[in-house]
Amino acid sequence: MRYRDENKMQAIRDCAIEMVAKNGLENFGINRLAKAAGVSPATIYIYYKDKEDLLTSISIEEGVKMTRATLKGFDPNASFREGLWVQWKNRAAFSLDNLQAAEFFEQLRNSTYKDKMREAISMEFRKSMGSFVENAVKRGEINEMPLEVYWSVAFAPLYALIRFHNEGQSLDGRKFKFSESIMKQTFDCVVKGLSK
Amino acid sequence: MSACLYNMKTTNHILIFKTNITTPEDRLEVAAVLDQQPFISKWTVDMEDIDCVLRIESAIAATAPIIHLIRSRNYECAELED
Repeated sequence: MRYRDENKMQAIRDCAIEMVAKNGLENFGINRLAKAAGVSPATIYIYYKDKEDLLTSISIEEGVKMTRATLKGFDPNASFREGLWVQWKNRAAFSLDNLQAAEFFEQLRNSTYKDKMREAISMEFRKSMGSFVENAVKRGEINEMPLEVYWSVAFAPLYALIRFHNEGQSLDGRKFKFSESIMKQTFDCVVKGLSK
Repeated sequence: MSACLYNMKTTNHILIFKTNITTPEDRLEVAAVLDQQPFISKWTVDMEDIDCVLRIESAIAATAPIIHLIRSRNYECAELED
């Protein structure tokens, strides 16, 4: 009889994320994954019925993990400045600690896996985030604006800093290292830009 | 009558086989026999995989009978070992 082994399953998941992050989806396959994870293909098939099943469940799990990390300690009723700062700290911590997951998501962009992941996590995310922005508008802290405008100002600057950090350099090859004070300085500009 | 005994809802065994079921037509051929087995709760074939892995969720450890069933339809079938 075959039993499910959580440690083995975790090793398979970690290895799959690493492989997709490094080499993309095109070269990914169960046999290659088995070789890289040091298990038999049969072992992988105990847990997943095929490549699609495996990538779908891993992307949903990773997406939920990211959502939970992002919403940790976040109160949708907090003031705009306070709530957004919690978001920034959570997002920065997750992105810096989970480089591979970030690369994995990047590879999944535009794939059907990404769509399924989005479906699974968006409900919870939108519920908290949606009411947060709504509350801020109601309280007169920020203006109503299209989601794209909001996101581009509220979060894209943070991800630009994280990208600089991951590449080790910013513009013209200037050395760059992420820090809380740099993040705070950028954050203050963002809040100023969004505030009424 | 005996079929009722095997028709358990729980899946206790996951059986993995290497086959040469490569096309949807092949899949239909084996479906004719697999769908009739009361002890099989779910089965899939990964036709993208080099081993065309047949994965069966079963109430009993029916490895040998399944190999026999698939071979009776003139397909290769061997247990894929851990």
